This record gives sequence, C-alpha cells and structure tokens, in this order.
Amino acid sequence: MYSEKIEKELARLGVKAGDKIKVVSGNAIEEGILMPRPEIGDNGILVIKRKDGYNVGIRFEGTKVEKTEENGNKASPPKKTYKEKLPSHLPKVKILYTGGTIGSKTDYLTGGVNVLVSSSELIGEIPELADIADIDFIEAMRIFSEDMTYKEWKVIAEKIADAFSSGARGVIITIGTDTMHYASAAISFMLQNLNGPVIFTGAQRSPDRGSSDAFMNLICSARIASESDIAEVGICMHQSSSDDACSFIRGTKARKMHTTKRDVFKPINNSPIASVSHDGRISYISDYAKMKDEPKKVVALTGYEPKVALIKITPNSDPTILDFYAEKGYKGIILEGTGMGHTAVLTQHKEYSWLESIKGAISKGMIIGMTSQCIYGRTNSRVYATARILSNAGVVYCNDILPEVAFVKLGFLLGNYKPEEARRLLDKNLRGEITERSEYDWFE
Amino acid sequence: MKNPDYYEKLGFKCGLEIHQRLATSHKLFCRCSASLAEDGKIGEIERVQRAVVGELGVLDVSTAFESRKKRRFIYNIFRKSSCLVDLDEEPPMGLSEEALGIALLIASSLNAKIPDEIEPMRKEVVDGSDPSAFQRSMLVATDGKLLTNGRYINIPTIFLEEESSGIESSGSDAVNYNLDRLGIPLVEIDTDATISTPSEAKELAMRIGLILRLTGRVQRGIGSIRQDVNISIKGGTRVELKGFQEVDTMDEIIDREIERQLKLIEIRESLSRKAARVHEPKALTEIFQDSDAKIIKESIESGAIVLGFRLEGFKGFLGREVNPGRRLGSEISDYAKMAGVKGLIHSDENLDSYRFRPEELQAIRKKLDIKEDDAFILIAAKENVCKYAAELAKERAEYSLVGVPSETRGVDSRAGITRFLRPIPGGSRMYPETDAIPVEVNKKEYETIKSNKVDPDAIRSRLMKEIKNEQLAEQMLWSRDLQLYTEIVQKTGAKPATVASIILERFKEMKRSGINIESLHYDILIKIFSLFSSGSITRLGAEEIIRELPQSEKGIYSIIERKRLKKLSGDSLKELARSALAAEGDRNKVRKELMSKYRVSIDGEELNSILESMRV
Repeated sequence: MYSEKIEKELARLGVKAGDKIKVVSGNAIEEGILMPRPEIGDNGILVIKRKDGYNVGIRFEGTKVEKTEENGNKASPPKKTYKEKLPSHLPKVKILYTGGTIGSKTDYLTGGVNVLVSSSELIGEIPELADIADIDFIEAMRIFSEDMTYKEWKVIAEKIADAFSSGARGVIITIGTDTMHYASAAISFMLQNLNGPVIFTGAQRSPDRGSSDAFMNLICSARIASESDIAEVGICMHQSSSDDACSFIRGTKARKMHTTKRDVFKPINNSPIASVSHDGRISYISDYAKMKDEPKKVVALTGYEPKVALIKITPNSDPTILDFYAEKGYKGIILEGTGMGHTAVLTQHKEYSWLESIKGAISKGMIIGMTSQCIYGRTNSRVYATARILSNAGVVYCNDILPEVAFVKLGFLLGNYKPEEARRLLDKNLRGEITERSEYDWFE
Repeated sequence: MKNPDYYEKLGFKCGLEIHQRLATSHKLFCRCSASLAEDGKIGEIERVQRAVVGELGVLDVSTAFESRKKRRFIYNIFRKSSCLVDLDEEPPMGLSEEALGIALLIASSLNAKIPDEIEPMRKEVVDGSDPSAFQRSMLVATDGKLLTNGRYINIPTIFLEEESSGIESSGSDAVNYNLDRLGIPLVEIDTDATISTPSEAKELAMRIGLILRLTGRVQRGIGSIRQDVNISIKGGTRVELKGFQEVDTMDEIIDREIERQLKLIEIRESLSRKAARVHEPKALTEIFQDSDAKIIKESIESGAIVLGFRLEGFKGFLGREVNPGRRLGSEISDYAKMAGVKGLIHSDENLDSYRFRPEELQAIRKKLDIKEDDAFILIAAKENVCKYAAELAKERAEYSLVGVPSETRGVDSRAGITRFLRPIPGGSRMYPETDAIPVEVNKKEYETIKSNKVDPDAIRSRLMKEIKNEQLAEQMLWSRDLQLYTEIVQKTGAKPATVASIILERFKEMKRSGINIESLHYDILIKIFSLFSSGSITRLGAEEIIRELPQSEKGIYSIIERKRLKKLSGDSLKELARSALAAEGDRNKVRKELMSKYRVSIDGEELNSILESMRV
C-alpha cells in the first residue's frame, strides 16, 4: 500500500495498480505500469514497471501523474489455459493442498498470491504427473504452516481417510515446510489401519521459479503414492542439494534441520525408508510397514488434547514455569532435557531445582515426558543420578523420540485415551517413533 | 573503409551493451569473495531447470528454447567464493553498497540521472548459468549521454546486476559451471541505436571502456569487460552479437554482420520469387542399412535414425555464401546443433565425400520427391535428438523465406565471424526480486559522487602536465596501468616522465621477452620506485630489479646486493671519480670506464657533473 495521501490522490485520478501512467517530475518523464507498493521501503515512492520490464521508484511528491491507459497489462496474452485432464488407467492418487510455498505463485501485478487450483492446472505445469498417476487435486485449506493447529491436522486426517475410502491408492499432502514434521507425526498417529502411502511434501522455492524444488518433490511423491507398497506416513523432499533424488522419511522420524536448503528434512535416529530418483526409480533403504492384501478400512482417530507444552531446559531455566502450566490446566509437558534427558535436581541452588515442581505437576495428574535437546541419540534414566531421581519422581523417559514428535504424541494420546493409558503408551512404539537399536550411519 | 552515407542508405542501426565487472571485495548479494577461486572445488551439485511463465503470464521465446534442450546443469562449488546464496539455497543478503557506489560513479561519469528508489528485479535465465534460474538486476540510472565523434550518443539505461557462472565445460546433455564467478557485481551500459557507422561503434566502445577503467574500480583481465552489439539494416532485423572480448575487430565484425544480413535478404528475394517451400521430415533410415557412408553407418549402428526433408526450389541456395566460409547451410546446421547433433548433410555439399552409393542418393530423391530445382537435408541421430534437430533445421530453413531471424549470435574473434547462439530474448522475463529490499538513493550523496566523476579530458591534461610528452601521455591515458602509474607517482614522488617511460616502454619490452610483470604486486613496484626516488638505486637499477624479481626467489634487497645495484653517489662517487681520474687523467676515458663498470649503479648525469667539477 502507498501512503494514505498517495492512495487518495490516485483514487482521485482514477488510477489503480495495473494502469499505465505517465509520471512527470521536473524535466524527467517516466512511463509504465503502476505496480503495487511492496510492504517494505518508503511508501511515498511510486513503483513503475517500464516497458523494458524493469521497475523503478519515483518519489510521488512534486510529480504530476497522468493515466494513459486503463489496465496497461491488458495487451499481454491471456493466462495459460490447460487441457482438460484425460481419463487415466493409472493408480488413483489424491493431492491435498493445504498451503505453503509449493502451491504459491505470486501475482506480481496485484501482489497477491495465487495457488494452483485444479488437477488440470497442476498437470499443465508438471505434465510428468499424468504419466505416473491418475491425479485428483483438491484444496483442503490455504494457510501458512506456522498457522496450522491440531484442528487442521484433524481435517487433514479425515480427508486422507476419505480419500482411501473412495479408492485412492496413495495420498499426497502439500504443506508448508515449517511445521511439516509436526503434521506428519500427528497424521501418523491419527490414521488407523493405514494401507497405503501417505506423503507429505512441499517446497523451499516457489514453483514460479525455474529452479523450484517443487517439481521434483511432487514427481517423486507421486511415484511413491502410485508405485510403492509402503503403508506409512512420510515426508518426501530433496535428498541433497541436487535435483537427482528425493528421500522418503518416516513421518515420526523427520525433522526440519535447515531454514532454507532443499534437503531440509533429515531422518533423525533412523534411515530413510526409500530414495526416489528423478527418473522414477524407487530404492528401498530400510524396513517399513507394507500394504496388506485384505486391508481394514482406514479411519482417522482425531481426538487431540491441545493443553500440552514442549519446554526446553537451559542453564538458569526456572522450574516454576511448570507451576504456571499446571495452573493453566495443562495435561502434559514434554521436557527437552540436556544430554541423555536431564534437568537440574541436585543443584546447590535450590531455586533452580526442578524436582519439587515436577513432583507437584505429576501429583496434579500431569504427564511429564523427557526427551533430549541433542536431537540425535537416546535418553536414558539409568546412567546418571539426576535421571534416576527424575524417573523415580514419575517422569517418562521417551527413549529416542524426537522432542516435537513426543509433544505431538502426548497431545494425541491425551485426546484419545485415559491419562493412565496415555502415560503407559508414551514410551511405547506406535508408528515407528521409537526404535529398538541405533544404527551406525544414522548420525554422520 | 566505407563512408557514412553507405551506412545511412542501408538503414544501419546499431547500439552497444557494455558489461563490466566491478572490483569489489564481495559479491553483489552475498558476502562471498568477488575474486575468482584460486583453490580447487569443494563439491558439486546437479540441477535441472524448467521454463516458467513470467510475471505477465508469457513464456519467453528464448526461455522456452533453452528449456527444450533439457540439459542438466552441474555446478562446481568453491570454499571462499561461493555460498548457499549462489546455490539458490538461501535468500540474498543486502545489496553491496560498495558495488552500488561504483555503479553510481560510473553513472555520473556518463552524465546519467538516478531514480529515487532502485528496485531489484529477477531476470529469468534458463541456460543454467544461474542456479536460481534468474539473474538479479536493477536499473540504477537513466538518460545518460556521452560525447563521441563530436556528437552526443544517448545512454538510456545503466544497470547493476549479478555476473553469471563461468562455463567449465559444455556438452549436449549437460553443462558444467563454476560458481565462483556467479554474483560478482556487473554494470551494464546500454546506448541507444543511433550509432551511425561500425567505426563509431568501436570508438564509443573504447571510450566507455576508458571511462570504466579510469574509475579505477573495475576488474581487469580477460572476460572482465564484454561488449554486445545490436545491429539491424533495412529489410533485416535486430541481431545481437555477443561476446566481443576486445574491441579491435569490432568494426570488421559489424561489417561482416551487415554483409550476412544483406545476403540473407537477397536469398529471401530469390526464394520468394520461386515460391520455394520446406517439406516435412521423413524417415530414411532403411535406405542406409548397408551404407558405405561412414558417418551414417556408424550412427545407425549406435542406434540412430536418419531423417531427411525436401527444400523445394532451394537448389544452390544452401551453398550460397553469407560470410567468408559460411553458407546458408551452415546457418541451418547451427540450429540443428542446438538439439545436440554434430551437424547435418545437405545436397549443395559435395556428397561424394560422404561415399553415398548412387542407389542411396536415388532412393533419397525418390522418397523425398526431390525435383531438379530442389535441395534436401539429412540428419542422423538418436530418435528424439534427430526429430528435434530436424524440427529446428526446418524452422530455420523456412525462415530463409522471411529473411533475417532475430538472433543472439556469438562472436568468434579469431575467425572474424559470428554464429547462432539462441533466439533473441523478449521482454517478458522480468519480475521483482521479492527477497531483496528496494534501495532508496540519497540524491545528496549522488551530488558528491558527481563531483568526483571521471573526466578523461581532465585526466589527459593532467598527464600532459606531468609527463610532458604528448605521445606518452596519450598512451598512459589508455593504458591499463594508469592506476599503477598514478599510485607510484603519488606515493613515491618519482619523476612522472620516468615512471611513464618505464611502465609504457620497459614493461612492454620485458613482457615481450617473457618476463611475467603481472606477477609483481602493486606494493612491490611502489617499493622499487620509492628506492629509486630516494636515490638508493638508479633508473637502470630499478629496471634491473623489476626484470629479476619475477624469475627470482629472492627479494628486492637480495637482488640489490647480489647484483650490486646500490647507487653510488655523493661522496662515494666523488671518491671513485677522484681515484680513477688520478690514475687515468682523461675525463672522457674515465667516464666511459666507470659507466661501463658501474652502469646500473651510477647516475650518468651526476657522474658528469662531478667529473666537470674536478681538476685534472
């Protein structure tokens, strides 16, 4: 938006973004299409798109603006039209769009963000998909992943269950990468009797760029959905910085490990389930749940207790934060402890000992789980005295679950089971979130 | 040399685009070193790119062309001079203020105006030279002008942008790029198309090059400046000639391009009169099952197919020369090569050299329905490559009936010709760089920059005053070593004429005799000249050190000691002269003897005045 004064003046002149205008300032004349003002920078400066395609900024004050053509962009060819999708005998794959970079195309004229809206448009952009599966695309929602809550996870889980009921062989969910691993964990727990691949994918670069990772991510996801016999939820994104292969990582063992790179998701305390090359070869890397011949109906168990928090332990961290959560009615806390799962209890500084607060919370019926901020490796309640004391006080040591996954799992358990059952299941493996042994190359 | 009227009659239109890398410490949008890597690569990645629709919903013709080639791109990664920004794995950092400052200095030296706000843009590139598939570019100045040939030539636009990656190697299915060059700040200067003759184009290019060099803040060396020339004539169309490494032959190459366009127009006239046309390609593979033609035989054995098509009424035209050694057939062949074939065979060539059997030729003629006045083209390659090559060749052949295709052509300076690179890009490849902040330009600062703008005429008069030799001063103005000269004169107080003479004359001789002067750092040269200036060594001594250093492992002082270069002067020279004069008696003989013995460590003039002052 331009400054109020400019917007007013433009309105008076009947000029809006997209119109061709002439701006005269002194003896200089600039002509072009008025662009919307970016959110950043000086909103007293008009941005004009010149004939050569370059934008240029001209301070509005002291200039004379004149409209030369209504909607100056009219002359450009109409938006691409896509051929109607042809009938296909390939396996049915549903793509659920929920938002995020992968479906976004900036409309540089209005400043708005458009999304891919139909199967035919998607196939028009990525024609390879039509040779892999019979794609059905639906927009389930359109939100940033950081805005996503358990309420959206429920919707997604239900839509996936519906898709399988109506004959889909696999389901792809496109979603923002920021909280993709929370969502993949939640959906892993929510889906019962899963008998096909459920693939979360996204993009680190939007598909309006020739270098976008969206294309290969979607193509590889479609391969898994259409051809693999995996009956698990996972994340399918770039395996490295190169456009040569994607990894399919278990949904309860993936974590966003970089802010911007393409190979942003890494398996933690696990190997990828499979690798899919850009030309479609699937190589299976580790054990996974396979599709069954006589499956039960896929159902979504969507109860969820949102009053669960994840607390990171640091030096000087104040244990009374637990009292605060207890007062707020929280039912469960996951601690991201130091090392093998520690927090101060034997300290000479009484005010920093967590023991009393933990005991107090547990006595109020809260479930306290312990994970590690090391991310890699297992927690252990037997090696150090600190952990033994915490464990004896009732803290559940969550083995090698990722802190975020333990957090999601506890909300899921508390939303669907009685507290004592939830507590019992917290450190039991349900969806591959806990492993029995640690392999050498999981951490390199 | 043709006169200006000749060009005016042709409707000659010509404009320049000059690209100059800036000498900054960092790249334009990240904090990587802006120098090319000297160490080896630390890794590589492989990417593919797609054509995407531009801002206004149009897929650009050159973009689509590159994208059809479906090549893989491999990028070499270097420790200090490439980072995640270059790899398109991290958003850009802030614009380099150093680069912007230099760009504005250049803009002011070209008398241009600056906008209130600079808007960083993305310019789409799909030849893979940028992993992000776009180049960041911004308009930094408009409405410049430069006096050349007694009149002003307009410079409508000046851009600041990112350099592309350098090509390490290129094949039909993959291109290997080096990321160290990517993102180095580059200024693009565009003139309007009012240049009236090829020699004026050359003069203007030289003058802009001079101004850039005189800023002292641009990179030097091979590839650091590139000139593109846009040319059209009446009945032709705009063609962009890319990659002049040096301006020396620019006028000749422009003349060649005019010749080519004229020939193509001629060909069009003749072909249109004959109602010539190009037919669809047909499969001819089976004709060559037992062929003796080596090229075709080997191709078929490795799984190739053969396609051929009829060019009705084209007989003799494919062999028409359009430039020395270049025929219409070569122009068509260049298009086919873009699909990844090595070349094509056409009927205006000497077909005997391919060793076709008569019955094969007959079969081709029959299958393609070739009449007396027709020509044909054959292409052998793997099926998809062959089909695409045939399609491109056919497109180009058909264009012979339209005239001059709008092309970007690469300059081959050695052969003095140009070759087709790709269709000329349209204007629909720009969209805003939403990851970078618009830059507000301080107009007051620009006024300060303007007061320091480069003025070649002022520098010429300064040099004249200092060097006092018109020829040397003019040479110095155009020399790449002007900055070195200026620094030496300012920092050491050495006599300007001597410095100029050593740099312009002695350096040239030394370079010719294979001495690597370039390896001497500025600081070392300044040290040598200050030793000269303070009287520790003579001029010949200084020259001797400069000659020795590049091929010696020793430092300056060891060379002075070993070669006895320490200047003999004052009392010690007097003492030397006195004893020699006592022994010999004849001043001239003494001078001769001492000068031949101590040539490099005695200043002749000083010796003269000492001898003069002595009684025999």
